[in-house]
Amino acid sequence: MTDSRTRRALAVFVVVLTGLVAGSSALDRVGHLPLAAPAPADAALALQTNLAYHSVLAADLMRSRIRGDEDLARAAEGAVARNTDAMRDLVGAVLGDQWAEEFRLLWSAHVTALSNYSSGVEDPGARDAARAALSTFEGDLAGFLATGSRGRLSREAARAAAYLHVDHLMRQADAYAARDYARADQLYREGYAHTFALGETIAAALLGPAGAEALREPGWRLRSQLARLLGEHVVLAVAATRAGVTNAPDFAAAGEAVNANTRDLAGAIDTLFGAAAAQGFQSLWADHVDQLMAYTGGVAAGDAGRREAAVNRLKAFEREFAAFLSTATAGRLPATALAGTLLTHDQMLMAQIDAYAGKQYEQAHDSAYSTYHHMGEVAGDLALAFSGTLGDRAPAGGSQTGYGGTAGHHGPR
Amino acid sequence: MGRADLLWRAVAVLAALLVGGSTLTASAPRAEPVPAAPPGPLAVDSFRSARSYAAVAAPVRLRIPAAGIDTALGSLGRNPDGTVEVPTDPAEAGWFAEGPRPGQPGPAVILGHVDSRTGPAVFYALPTLRPGTLVTIDLSDGTGVAFRVAGQQRVAKTSFPTDEVYAPTLRPSLRLITCGGTFDHTSRHYRDNVIVYADPA
Repeated sequence: MTDSRTRRALAVFVVVLTGLVAGSSALDRVGHLPLAAPAPADAALALQTNLAYHSVLAADLMRSRIRGDEDLARAAEGAVARNTDAMRDLVGAVLGDQWAEEFRLLWSAHVTALSNYSSGVEDPGARDAARAALSTFEGDLAGFLATGSRGRLSREAARAAAYLHVDHLMRQADAYAARDYARADQLYREGYAHTFALGETIAAALLGPAGAEALREPGWRLRSQLARLLGEHVVLAVAATRAGVTNAPDFAAAGEAVNANTRDLAGAIDTLFGAAAAQGFQSLWADHVDQLMAYTGGVAAGDAGRREAAVNRLKAFEREFAAFLSTATAGRLPATALAGTLLTHDQMLMAQIDAYAGKQYEQAHDSAYSTYHHMGEVAGDLALAFSGTLGDRAPAGGSQTGYGGTAGHHGPR
Repeated sequence: MGRADLLWRAVAVLAALLVGGSTLTASAPRAEPVPAAPPGPLAVDSFRSARSYAAVAAPVRLRIPAAGIDTALGSLGRNPDGTVEVPTDPAEAGWFAEGPRPGQPGPAVILGHVDSRTGPAVFYALPTLRPGTLVTIDLSDGTGVAFRVAGQQRVAKTSFPTDEVYAPTLRPSLRLITCGGTFDHTSRHYRDNVIVYADPA
């Protein structure tokens, strides 16, 4: 019991941590322990990850409404609100408190409209009203971003981006309501990718030239791109295990979305380390996902033996995968520490599965949120190690690509 | 300092410790697992992870119609001194095979000579490329990828932007490199490089 209380307390701190990761702690808004403004690179990444997570939570909220699962919808609303607060704090850290509150109000209005849209899937009047509210939001957000960025992001470009975000969410809801789960999950992924990229665009505009310069650093770009891919692994694994543990009809599509992310991850490793490494990576990663699904099946069936077998096989994965990455990065990622990190990742995902199976939806959302942000930290560690390893392999200096046969000629050089 | 302040500070300190470790050591609270699905076959039991992916084939030909460039592509690595290999044939460009392939999510690099000892070579016209120019690459599996020139720069070889050109990212892009600037008759090399940056079309 004491151990359980300790773990619950730690979980609360992890939730607080997500605010810190966002660049400005929840503590700021209650007037305690104000933190310094985040570095541009951190602020931009926090905006990317939180904005992308918003798209996931908003879609989850809309799907809960469509299914008529009010308990789940209420928990999703709470998660969306916490995510909104994290983004509000980030906006406040960059632009100031007045801007932060204005952002929160208009952002919350669009969450409400999205929820109303999904609640009214069979009510044309409600849908039209929600659409009108969302159109107003698109204009309001565009004005907010154009003004806040002093015109560095045009109103037209901002409005187009907001429109696309809303469009992804409405269309995934339509597809989900029509039980076209493959289409719904395709839009789920597109919405995540769009908002992640939008986070960089907004950050570059709000942070100004110096901030935008920081976002052009190759090391930051790799960190951001790994955070996108690995964060997507978390959100898709969460969605699939939730569908799996309840034997929901959208499981097949959710599982295929996880597989699509796995293929993207393997493609990324191919880019960075070559085809042989990518194949080794994918074999191990596939084992990881398979065992998470096996654990999910064990929970769904109430079979403690299957759960335990999956946990044991995950331990093997954690050791082997840590050794694989440690070797690939010439020891920059210590295998023992990395195995511990992977264990934490797996434990967090399994805690999320357990909570969801037990209909403890708020706890499930907290676990998912913590897992997502934890993966963002892991992405930072990987990016640093990958950059160092591959930097050592980059050619030195320029190329000797000329013999002088046209030297002195008036040519295009 | 009030109790609330103390509490928040304690929370922040612990949270900062967790951040500092970069990797969380606490597992989230665990609910007692309960069967969640009604009896019957579980869809999750039939799940199988993807164990293959669509690899991008190696590049075999580069075409830039606007500049009259149409060349086979050889494969390049690094010299023993760590510098990049260059094509042995001035009439043919080469792809840096230790980096990403064109079309993969990363910066692919293709190099070609600006001239031979007697006249223009395959990348003589590279500095004339303007933003928007179409660049296409044939791949060994019969497919192709297309890019549009985004810009170019001429840099002294002594300050070559290695990170900008080679550093790993996961954004598909292409760099075309040749020589430029004045010719050093002592070293028999040009002093500068011309780098053309291109993004997916």
